[in-house]
Amino acid sequence: MTLILEAVVFGILTGGVYALMASGLTLIFGVMRIINVGHGALVILGAYLSFALLRSANIDPFVSLVITMPAMFLIGVVLQVIFIRPLKDDREALSVLVTYAIALGIEGLLGYLFTNNFVQLNAWYETASFAVFGFHIAYVYLFGFGLCLAVLGAIFVLLYRTTFGSAVRATMLNRTAAQLVGVNVDRVSAIAFGIGVSTAAAGGVIFGMTNAFNPGSHYDLISRLLTIIVLGGLGSLRGAVIAAVAMLIIEDVTAVVISPVWASFAFFLLLVIVLVVRPQGLYGIRVRERI
Amino acid sequence: MSALLELDGVTAGYGGGDVLHELTLSVDEGGITCVVGPNGAGKSTILRLVSGLIKPRLGGVRFHGESITGLTPRQILQLGIVQVPQERSLFPTMTVWENVRMGAYTLSDRALMERRMRTVCETFPIVAERRHERVAALSGGQQKIVEFARALMLDPKLLVLDEPSMGLDPKTHTVVFDLIRDMNRAGRTILLVEQNARSGLGLASHGVVLESGRVRLEGTGAGVLGNGEIGRLFLGAPV
Repeated sequence: MTLILEAVVFGILTGGVYALMASGLTLIFGVMRIINVGHGALVILGAYLSFALLRSANIDPFVSLVITMPAMFLIGVVLQVIFIRPLKDDREALSVLVTYAIALGIEGLLGYLFTNNFVQLNAWYETASFAVFGFHIAYVYLFGFGLCLAVLGAIFVLLYRTTFGSAVRATMLNRTAAQLVGVNVDRVSAIAFGIGVSTAAAGGVIFGMTNAFNPGSHYDLISRLLTIIVLGGLGSLRGAVIAAVAMLIIEDVTAVVISPVWASFAFFLLLVIVLVVRPQGLYGIRVRERI
Repeated sequence: MSALLELDGVTAGYGGGDVLHELTLSVDEGGITCVVGPNGAGKSTILRLVSGLIKPRLGGVRFHGESITGLTPRQILQLGIVQVPQERSLFPTMTVWENVRMGAYTLSDRALMERRMRTVCETFPIVAERRHERVAALSGGQQKIVEFARALMLDPKLLVLDEPSMGLDPKTHTVVFDLIRDMNRAGRTILLVEQNARSGLGLASHGVVLESGRVRLEGTGAGVLGNGEIGRLFLGAPV
């Protein structure tokens, strides 16, 4: 029983990290209706930026976010303006190709700068742990979960308590109607893309402290992130958070109760069941396509 | 009456080709201009052009005698041209209140926005009564009223309505058209595109029949309705 409880707690803590990474991806989809296949590579880029600051200036990975998050925001805005904004027709399909090209570009650049050897972000709290009800939790997971709550909380406040947030939500819900009430959807899209990419920096730090990574680590990551936002409902932040936590809890509990071999299978089984019942995902909006 | 809006020899369309061909059209200040025509005639394209969602390839658009060709939707909105698009133009998961407030997105004067909010609530009591409800929970007619309320937040000089009767039952249809008449009596100029030609032309001071991106006929609303040939072609039966 203790093992199951431990798996649930661990699933919630790591689920928060995936929720953070997936929230950026689903925000980008919601505002621009594009699938950012490069999001996993951007997470890895964020991890490498923190790795570079740790190695060159001995800056703590969490502290480095003060630099990397704004930097990644700017990178996101530039990527959106140069590569995404020119896509006018068939955005959803073309965006997959364009963002995949971005991912390959990032992977190549990181391989050139850092080689393909695996690295990991280190800090005292990476291995140190504390005991709760008889089981041990590493500080890094607790700090990571706290960071996720802070970043997700900031995104929710931005979206639901500010005029800019209203413009973002309006663009997500009805792009043409948003234009007709005066929202500059190009500007909103660029800033939303920047915010989504800056969350990748935060996710990258925790990912890089809990996993060894190399420039090619984004392939596995993006497949998990896409699965999360499909289960949660494309464009739904709340759905992404719930789906991420559900995925990690199910995987961790299955690994403890049955076998680690069946961990991913159990989650994908849940995904298939949910999509059969609700093709739009847990919190997605069902749309009819005009033919 | 003087012309508030003029389209002068406009040719415009989308990636697939031109929809409007050297179209010339004027909307008189203080009146209701109704554009009717078969599907694909270019009715909605006129409205997208006026709102700045698309740009003309040739020709120009003037408002109060000044060119507005090439302005962004936001700039056109700030001149006092507000469009209520075809059905489903609200933000479904936002509340009624949030939707109406979005109508004043371009206003920076908060006091003015609050005053407009009060005026809109007096005109459309449903906005205050159901302010906390998501618009998706409202009926089609109620949603149309919220769309009108949102449009009035900028106190527009020209209200552009794209098929306001679409998807409404007969009773709600009457209510919506009465509201359009009331908004016009309150001094607003209205440019209306309507599939239901009888309703639209019956309300209009100026009627325009569009065919293949060109004006086939124009005159008073009653005059166009009374035209036998147009009646047979576009209105379904002898008038």
